[in-house]
Amino acid sequence: MDKILVGLKRVVDYNVRVRVKSDGSGVETDGVKMSINPFDEIALEEALRIKERGDANEVIVVSIGNNDAQQQLRTGLAMGADRAILVETANHVDSLTGARVFKALIDRENPDLVILGKQAIDDDNSQTGQMLAALWNRPQATFASNLSIVGQKATVTREVDVGLEIVEVDLPAVITVDLRMNEPRYVKLPDIMKAKKKPLDQVLLGDLNIEEATGIKQVVFEPPSERQKGAMVDDVAGLVAALKDKGLI
Amino acid sequence: MLVDDLKSIVGPEGWTTDPGDLQPHLTEWRDIWTGKTLVMVSPASTREVASIVRECHKAGTGVVPQGGNTGLCGGAIPDQSGNQVLLSLSRMNAVRSVSPNDHSLVVDAGCTLASIQEAAQQVDRFFPLSLAAEGSCQIGGNLSTNAGGINVLRYGTARAQALGLEVVLPDGTIWDGLRSLRKDTSGYDLKQLFIGAEGTLGVITAACLRLYPSVKGLQTALVSVDSPDGAVALLADLRHRMSDQLQAFELIPDRAIRYVLRHFPSARFPLEPTSPWYVLMESINSDGNEQLEHQLLACLDAGLISDAIVAKNKGEADALWGIRHAISEAQKKEGASLKHDISVPVGTIGDFIRAADVAVTRHLPGVRVVAFGHVGDGNVHYNLSQPAGTDPASFLAQGEALASLVYEVVAGLGGSISAEHGIGQAKRAHLLQYRSATEIHLMRTIKAALDPENIMNPGKVI
Repeated sequence: MDKILVGLKRVVDYNVRVRVKSDGSGVETDGVKMSINPFDEIALEEALRIKERGDANEVIVVSIGNNDAQQQLRTGLAMGADRAILVETANHVDSLTGARVFKALIDRENPDLVILGKQAIDDDNSQTGQMLAALWNRPQATFASNLSIVGQKATVTREVDVGLEIVEVDLPAVITVDLRMNEPRYVKLPDIMKAKKKPLDQVLLGDLNIEEATGIKQVVFEPPSERQKGAMVDDVAGLVAALKDKGLI
Repeated sequence: MLVDDLKSIVGPEGWTTDPGDLQPHLTEWRDIWTGKTLVMVSPASTREVASIVRECHKAGTGVVPQGGNTGLCGGAIPDQSGNQVLLSLSRMNAVRSVSPNDHSLVVDAGCTLASIQEAAQQVDRFFPLSLAAEGSCQIGGNLSTNAGGINVLRYGTARAQALGLEVVLPDGTIWDGLRSLRKDTSGYDLKQLFIGAEGTLGVITAACLRLYPSVKGLQTALVSVDSPDGAVALLADLRHRMSDQLQAFELIPDRAIRYVLRHFPSARFPLEPTSPWYVLMESINSDGNEQLEHQLLACLDAGLISDAIVAKNKGEADALWGIRHAISEAQKKEGASLKHDISVPVGTIGDFIRAADVAVTRHLPGVRVVAFGHVGDGNVHYNLSQPAGTDPASFLAQGEALASLVYEVVAGLGGSISAEHGIGQAKRAHLLQYRSATEIHLMRTIKAALDPENIMNPGKVI
C-alpha cells in the first residue's frame, strides 16, 4: 500500500495527576507534562512497523489543535513518520469535528489505511474512528490488538468483551488500536535531529471547508467528589446498622 | 525485669520476642549483618520512646534504634550478645502537620520516605529526598544516616532537608526542637549533631522537613558516554548550558545494565548496548521548553555525545529509573558482593575508578566491578561482585583486604570512605584509620558528653 494516516492527540501525560482549574473552566495544563495520547502512540508504532516490513511507503501523522501540538508531531516524526500535518484551531474539537477533519484530509491524501487510538485519555469518548469510518463509508476494525496486511485486506484481532474476535476488512479502512497491540519505541537523539528536517504542514481548520460540530458544549469542569474513608464493622448486624444510619436502607 | 517494664510501657501491640517476627529485624537485606535481641519494642509515641530509653538508661542496657532496616552497614542491627533492646520506630508513622505556605511539614520518624513525598504532593509541594529504598526506608533512618540519593545535586542530602528535630536523649529526656526556621543563629545548631549520628547520640522521633515548590515539568534522558571522565565533562558542560536545572546525573556501567537485563526480563534498555558507560539524567523543565533535549542536541552537534534517548512520556522516564533502581537487586542475584560507598572530588571520579580497578583486579583477578552512582555528588558506589563461578564465602573473606585497597585510593584523592550509607558496624575500623586523631577525639568527646553510659546504639560508628 502507499500511505498510512495516523492521528496523534496532545493530552496530559497519563502519569500526571489531572487537576481541574479553580474557576472550573477546564483542566490545568499550565506547566503540566503533555504527551501523545498513549493509544495514538501505539497506532503510530504499528504504522511504522507496517512500513518497515515493506507493506507501506509513507506514514503521515496528523494532529488537531493549537500550535503546541507541533511538539507531539515532532515526536512522531522522530519515531519515524515521514511527514506531519497540523490542523490548527483554538477551539475545543469534539469527536465529530475530529472525524470530519480526518475525512477532509483523506480526500486530499487518499490513504490506504487510517490508524487511530481506540480512544483519547482526556475525554475517553472512543468515537472518532467509528464516526470517520461512517463518513468515509469504509470498513472499520476497532480495539485492535493484532494486525496483518495481505494485499488489499487486513486481518485484525479485536479485543471484545467476550474475548478476542478476528475480522477481515477490505482496504482502505479505519483501524483503532488497543493497549496490547505493541510497545512503542524510544526516541533517539539523532532521530530527533533528523525529524527537524522533515516536513510539517500547517493547515487552518477553517480552510478545510468543514462544518464544526456544535452539538456538545462544555459547561463546567469539577473534580470527582472525594471518596470517604471506609470503616470496619464487626458483623452483619453492625453492617445493617451502619447502612440504616446513613439512610441507605 | 527490664523486659517486663518495657512491655508494660508499650502494651501488648508494641513488643515481640517471637523468633519468626524478629527475624526480618535482626538481619540486613544483604544477609551480611545479623544479631540477637532481648526484645523488640515498637512504641506508638515519643512519650513511650522516652520511657523506654529512660528504663534502659537506668538498667544500663543498650538501645538499637531501627527504621525500615534498609541500611547497608549494620547500623540498625543489634550485636550478638542478645542483651540489647531493639527499638523499632515503625508504628510512629503519622504525618503530624503540613504547612504549604511555610513550605514545611512535620512527620514522625517512622514515616516511609515515599509517604512523605506523597504528603508533599497532596498539597502541590515537592519533597526532594529520593532513593532506591524509598518505599520501605523511614525518615528517622534517612536523617540518622544523612542519606543522599538521586536529587542531591540540586537539593542536598537529608541534612539539608531538616529544619528541626524532636529527639529522645540517652537519659530519656525529650528535646523538642521541631522549629521550622530558615534562619536561626541562636547558639549551637543542635539538630546537626543527631543527623548522621546513626542513633548513637539519641533517638530521632520526629522531624520538621523542608518542602519545595512542586516541579512542574521534568525531562529524563539516557546518554551513552565513553568514560567516567566523559560523564564528568558532560555534567560540567550541561550545568553551565542549563543554568543548573539538572537535578539528577547518574553514572551506570554496561555491566550493571547487563545484570539488570539478565535478572529482570521485563526491563527494556532503549540504547544500543555497545557503550561502556551510560548516564541517566533528569532536568527541570518548568517552562515546557524541553531545555534538556535542546542542549543534548547541541552536545550531539558538537560531538560531545554520540547516542541518547529522551523519554517522550513519564512512563518511559519511570522505566529508565526502574533500571537504575534495580541495579542493587540485580547485583545481589549475581552472587556475593562487597560495597564501597565512597565520595571523591567530582573531577577525580575517573581517576578513582581507574586506580581502584587496577588495585582490586591485581588482588583478585576476575573480580567484577560495578561502579555506579551520583556523578554530580562525587559519590561512587564502587561495588564488587564475586568472580563468576567462585565460592561466595572465600570472596567475602577478601572483604577487608579489598576495602583497604579501595579506601587507600579514596584517601589519596582526599575522599570519604562513606558518602551516604554511614559507618554502622561495617566501617568502624576504617573510620578510625581515615579520620584524623583530632576529628576522632572530637567525636568521642561529643559521644561521652551526650551518652556517658554508652547505651545508645553501642558498638556503632565510633
